Amino acid sequence: MPAIQLSNLTKTFGPKLAVDRLDMSIEEGSLIGLIGPNGAGKTTTIRMIMSIIFPDSGAISVLGKASAIESKDLIGYLPEERGVYKKMKVGAFLTYIARLKSVPESQVQTRVRGWLERVALADTYKKRCEELSKGMQQKVQFIASVIHEPKLVILDEPFSGLDPVNSRLLRTLVHDLHKQGTTIIFSTHQMSQAEALCDRIVMIHQGKKVLDDTPARIRNQFDPRAVFVEPASEIDERTLVSAVSGVREVRRIGAGFEVFATGNEPASGLLARIAASVPATRVEVVRPTLEDVFIDIVKGSAKSPEELAELEALARGSRSDTSGD
Amino acid sequence: MRKIFTIALREFLAVVATKGFVLGLLIPPVIMAVVVAVLPKLMNQKPPPVVGTIAIVDQSGLVAPRLEDAFSREKMQQRREEKFREASAEVTKRTGMTLPDPTKSPAAPGDAKASETPDPLAAAMDNPVAKAQMQQAMGAIPELQVVTLPPDTDINAIKDQLRKADSRARIPLNADGKPDEAETNKLREQRLVLVVIPKDAVALPASTDASQANPSDDPSANFSSYDLFLAPRMDPEVSADIRDQANRAIVDARLAANKFDVAAVRGLIKRPEANQQIVTADGARKQNEAAAILVPGGFMFLLWMSVFVAGQYLLTSTIEEKGSRVMEVLLSAASPLELMIGKIIGKGAVGLMILLLYAGAGLLALIAATMLDLIAWQNLLYLLIYFVIAYFIVASLMAAIGAAVTELAEAQALMTPINLVLMIPMLLWLPIMRNPNGSFAQVCSFVPLINPFVMVLRISGPEKIPFWQIGSSIVIGIATVCVLVWMSAKIFRVGVLMYGKPPNFPTLLKWVRMA
Repeated sequence: MPAIQLSNLTKTFGPKLAVDRLDMSIEEGSLIGLIGPNGAGKTTTIRMIMSIIFPDSGAISVLGKASAIESKDLIGYLPEERGVYKKMKVGAFLTYIARLKSVPESQVQTRVRGWLERVALADTYKKRCEELSKGMQQKVQFIASVIHEPKLVILDEPFSGLDPVNSRLLRTLVHDLHKQGTTIIFSTHQMSQAEALCDRIVMIHQGKKVLDDTPARIRNQFDPRAVFVEPASEIDERTLVSAVSGVREVRRIGAGFEVFATGNEPASGLLARIAASVPATRVEVVRPTLEDVFIDIVKGSAKSPEELAELEALARGSRSDTSGD
Repeated sequence: MRKIFTIALREFLAVVATKGFVLGLLIPPVIMAVVVAVLPKLMNQKPPPVVGTIAIVDQSGLVAPRLEDAFSREKMQQRREEKFREASAEVTKRTGMTLPDPTKSPAAPGDAKASETPDPLAAAMDNPVAKAQMQQAMGAIPELQVVTLPPDTDINAIKDQLRKADSRARIPLNADGKPDEAETNKLREQRLVLVVIPKDAVALPASTDASQANPSDDPSANFSSYDLFLAPRMDPEVSADIRDQANRAIVDARLAANKFDVAAVRGLIKRPEANQQIVTADGARKQNEAAAILVPGGFMFLLWMSVFVAGQYLLTSTIEEKGSRVMEVLLSAASPLELMIGKIIGKGAVGLMILLLYAGAGLLALIAATMLDLIAWQNLLYLLIYFVIAYFIVASLMAAIGAAVTELAEAQALMTPINLVLMIPMLLWLPIMRNPNGSFAQVCSFVPLINPFVMVLRISGPEKIPFWQIGSSIVIGIATVCVLVWMSAKIFRVGVLMYGKPPNFPTLLKWVRMA
């Protein structure tokens, strides 16, 4: 039985079509990354799954129920718009949330203190939330979303605003939850996070699902069939094209070249030919990143060159976001 | 249900467990208690009794003996008792509060012997408690003696003496704390007042018009005035008494000079006293003007204040949750309706606590003032019922507004019309209390939004309100609450996740239809 089943889900805000006939099925125990540019409809989809807003048409099934309201206590949700009570103490806030989520009274305190310890915030129990840094607040909010040991965890942009250390900590925590069999969905516009974590990726663009597969299969599908070569001695593009057969295009990238094969030839054949004919310090098959896929898909839908440039900049920006990670 | 309770508990504690709230709640009653306890004590700080002599230069020879008599100890005591009795009768008339009468013995009212006591003064002596109370209220009796000076006395010399006199001097004490006899006697000698009565003040010179056999028959006849010189800083009560007694002595002297029976005339011209009563279906009831207006006003103000303070807390906490984006975290654990109801109940408990604390303080004050009979017990029950109705009306409006806006400043635009509507009961207080069963008051009792306030006003007033009106106003109130809670639940659900431009009323109505 899928943990979440969306069929033909549609939601409009005034004239804007936020989610357009979305179908999605998420198996129990899977770890899914929901990616897409800003405004793609990720948060709207998640809010509809959470029954915070209601779809104009289409059906939702969450943990076998028609609405998340009926199984709220089995779902953990970290919203994109998240906050804390500024004047409330961290411990009191988490205790309140735990009670609200029906954690048995006898376990409330052990869980609150245990989780604070796990995220290295044990000393903040008696601090007011407003005294915490933004990253610390985000960890507290993450605890609030998982303190009731939910079967399904939905994290909306969980990594935004976290430094590399906390980003890694959060990834470990998400991974641990996944190992315990929790179904996890998280949305991000940082492709590298999704690539590193998920066993399935769903990409939404302009309210529509444009991609739904495992990272490996997506890479294969979008394989640019290119080989990266770093020659041992200085040569130019023309030398390279004439030296290797079946080359369609060569692009200089830094100290090396990206070589594209003609036709549908797999990159492995090209690699063998290059290695045989060009003395090189490094020859490897180019693995497409999700970013490339992302840009590829978005490019197709761009209506003007400006929009295209904007989207590319966005995708590149997201790479630099996580370059330190 | 359990979630609603968890939310309500947090909402309650988030207000009640702050220092600001505790101080804000306690300070006004403490200030009031201090004022009530200290102010009368301060005002009762009577100056020391006035000690000295009243000098009289009486050219007619008729006034001085009467004035001397008026300032005898017995007469002064009698006047004070009369004044006290009048004052307490006035208090009783205005407020319904009964002060103990020092002229009656503390025996039971049915005690025939007590009510038959012929001499009030003698009875006052029997009632030391009342006497002490009177003593405390009116201060000690001044020690004044009247000294008659010969008609040819040098007035200016006496005036010089007045100038030097100290009307506020305390009776000097000697080493062992007892009044120093010699010094006190010296003080008694000091002249504080000089009354100069010309002959014309008592008898008109008969020679001016021979045809006029009896000068008092002529209405145009004018007696001359008399001079009253006072030492500086005289206690105004004492100087007023001296003036009254001098006036009285002169009038009495005139009456006597014209061969009237003074006591008989005084008896005849005594001011009559109205025994005012309102005749109702239940029989005669003593009128109680001030209480009839103030008690309902107090009830309504109590209701109004507790409802609005709680409503304000609800508004700010909803805006805070929305502004700090904690709202969506909460909505992942509870439904919007649970959240809204929990918040309304939690802040309602704050309002109820304010209401009960202040009502309790008010009842204690009434018990202390022995005016508890002003409050009918079933009115307290009605106060609670109407509090719940009024609070839910205001709270559902506040919850809807709080959910619709992102900042407190944006709420003001939406609050203004609601505040105006809910100010109406305050403006209606006096018109309704003047005629609590008039058609205006009756119509207002059925107008949604304001009717809880109007009904509390009417019920706690002196007139009996038909039960069907109470019942139907409660039904209308509950219906209003149902409609408003239903509407605000819809606005709440849409509004809590809407950020950006604050909505106006048409938008809110659209949300109601949309959700």
